[in-house]
Amino acid sequence: MPDGSGHMQPYLDQALEGASNLVGSGVDWIDALRRAGADAYGTHGLPKRRDEYWRYTNLNALADEEFRLANGAPAIGLPSLPHKLVAELATYRVVVVNGRLRPDLCALDGLPDDVLVSGLEDLMAAAPARLEPYLGKIIRLDEMPMAALNTAFLRDGMAMFVGDRVVLDKPVHLISITAPGDRPLMVQPRHLVVLGKNASATLIETHITAEGGSSFNNIVAELHMDDGAKLNHFVFQEEAETSVHLSGTAVAMGADTTYDSFVLQSGGAIGRSEIHAYLNGTGGDCRLDGVYLASDKQVVDNTTFVEHAAPGCRSRQVYKGVLDGQSRGVFQGKVHVLRDAQQTDGHQLSRALLLSPRAEIDARPELEIYADDVKCSHGATAGELDDDSLFYLLSRGIPREDARRMLIEAFLSEAIAEIPLEQVAEDFTTHVRQWLANNVGSARGQD
Amino acid sequence: MALLEIKNLHATVDDKPILNGLDLTIGGGEVHAIMGPNGSGKSTLSYVLSGRDGYEVTGGEVLFDGKNLLEMEADERAREGVFLAFQYPVEIPGVTSITFLRTAVNAVRQHHGESPFDAMDFVKYIREKAAGLNVSDDMLKRAVNTGFSGGEKKRMEILQMAALDPKLAILDETDSGLDIDALKVVAEGVNAMRSDERGLLVITHYQRLLDYIVPDHVHVLAKGRIVKSGGKELAHELEESGYAEFLEDAA
Ligand SMILES: Nc1ncnc2c1ncn2[C@@H]1O[C@H](COP(=O)(O)OP(=O)(O)O)[C@@H](O)[C@H]1O
Ligand SMILES: [Mg+2]
Repeated sequence: MPDGSGHMQPYLDQALEGASNLVGSGVDWIDALRRAGADAYGTHGLPKRRDEYWRYTNLNALADEEFRLANGAPAIGLPSLPHKLVAELATYRVVVVNGRLRPDLCALDGLPDDVLVSGLEDLMAAAPARLEPYLGKIIRLDEMPMAALNTAFLRDGMAMFVGDRVVLDKPVHLISITAPGDRPLMVQPRHLVVLGKNASATLIETHITAEGGSSFNNIVAELHMDDGAKLNHFVFQEEAETSVHLSGTAVAMGADTTYDSFVLQSGGAIGRSEIHAYLNGTGGDCRLDGVYLASDKQVVDNTTFVEHAAPGCRSRQVYKGVLDGQSRGVFQGKVHVLRDAQQTDGHQLSRALLLSPRAEIDARPELEIYADDVKCSHGATAGELDDDSLFYLLSRGIPREDARRMLIEAFLSEAIAEIPLEQVAEDFTTHVRQWLANNVGSARGQD
Repeated sequence: MALLEIKNLHATVDDKPILNGLDLTIGGGEVHAIMGPNGSGKSTLSYVLSGRDGYEVTGGEVLFDGKNLLEMEADERAREGVFLAFQYPVEIPGVTSITFLRTAVNAVRQHHGESPFDAMDFVKYIREKAAGLNVSDDMLKRAVNTGFSGGEKKRMEILQMAALDPKLAILDETDSGLDIDALKVVAEGVNAMRSDERGLLVITHYQRLLDYIVPDHVHVLAKGRIVKSGGKELAHELEESGYAEFLEDAA
């Protein structure tokens, strides 16, 4: 599909090339879905500055370098994971290398009946009918161009079904490893999570990069939550500084559902977490929280869109970040309250700590309200470490670097304290400390 | 050798001269009080001595134990034994008091070549000091000064002083915002720390505190200079006469 000047949009050729050989081709709805993704992306191309949700994060790197789609998972073993407590936690483990499920590295014994965890590809081949009611149903292709591109490549990733009333006894830990070779590598995984009525689950994601060259990871997750379902969702995004990590998540929330998300981002040359939450039933409760850490020339982007479509729902967002060097943080959050969504309670807050004069934050919290009986608020703050607090610690003999680290950790700890799973909270804290030890050290005189 | 020798000290804040040739000598074991009207530079003196950024020394010198105090960073001064009890203690959400105290005490101990306390030993150490000051375990578990009452904050300041065991303690309006009972607890805590070696500089606007922490010397600070010095009876005179004469004289 050429653009206006007759050029093919980047990466579209790769999507179209293999499409007819892909698993599921010949199944009408799958063909149609891939085509819809290709069409939407083909019309739009890579996001540009004028796109409302891409004003501050520039993807020129993707146009400058030709990333090639991963073909299969290289035979690497399970690397040691950066997070001790989560690694030791009893979980159902799902390992995806370059988007493909690696059954030999998974640990899924004892999954309850009525719970299915599988490679998306396998399910497309074996039981596409099971996917049909869900796959692609809540991704708004016209609003998410990178998700459209992902849809054109639809094949890789994980599918997980949790039946009605099933309360998963252990978290599912999705370990996603990008293993680039010599050539710039592209991965287009699609994860589908379906929770039945009153089902309850915890999903932990760890995103890491194995040794190698540059990579581009374009992840899309679709989370379907039937009435009364509950999902705790924790994400560690720690890809290498040679990687572009784009993650787009859409979650459709039925009545009386609870979705609790916490995203820690500290990896990637560009790291972006975009979450669209659709509160479609009354009594839904949505929490989107995050912490990000960036240094050097990293760009870390948290973009959220919360749509209150039903009355009596609650949404809360708190994103806190620390930016050092010449890094840039982006927070764009919109709470959209539709006309019928009375008694909406929606709040969002972005707070950034700038450790260097060349670090930068672009924060754009937004409320768009069409109902009249709502309680909504939003706010954004950005600043340096508080002088009074710093002097107080210094005046007690605490060396300057230690004092700065203490204050930064304190700033983030309020957000991390909200995490309901203790091991995850502790690993997040450990990760923050490590980052501080590496990045806030010989900073004397810099501030 | 005196513990602290301040000679002809000049200091500015935002290029505005605040201290204008201040002289003061404190020997080990002595308690000095500085009194003065609001805005005379009392807090500024305390910040200059403790090394706060933004307080620029433009003249004079300060010797602490014979060393040039003004060359040291704030944290180094504290480890060398200068302590400031703040007029307005700072709230630091997210840092628990006990962690803060232990970090500070261990920084000072290591500076003096002593081994740091582990968590258990430190709890023992701090509980002993806290008991006399009515600082509960609960307060130690809460974030530094966060949500503390005025009295709790001042007791926490004195606890920090007791824990850090400084050579020179500067108390900046420790009486402000305290009722008489709270004042007594704080004063007792301070008095318990009087010793032959330690110097105390008690800054106050009112004479009241000096009924409980009885000074050896009293100085009047006005317009950034010591304009009068005397014994403890000077505090009572000031209570009678007020500061008006110094404001006019120094103008
Ligand atoms: N951080 C500051 N910025 C600007 N002016 C200050 C600052 N701190 C003190 N000053 C000024 O310095 C003078 C002395 O203040 P201060 O030392 O607080 O007096 P005191 O403690 O005796 O009341 C006052 O005029 C005050 O306005
Ligand atoms: Mg003052």
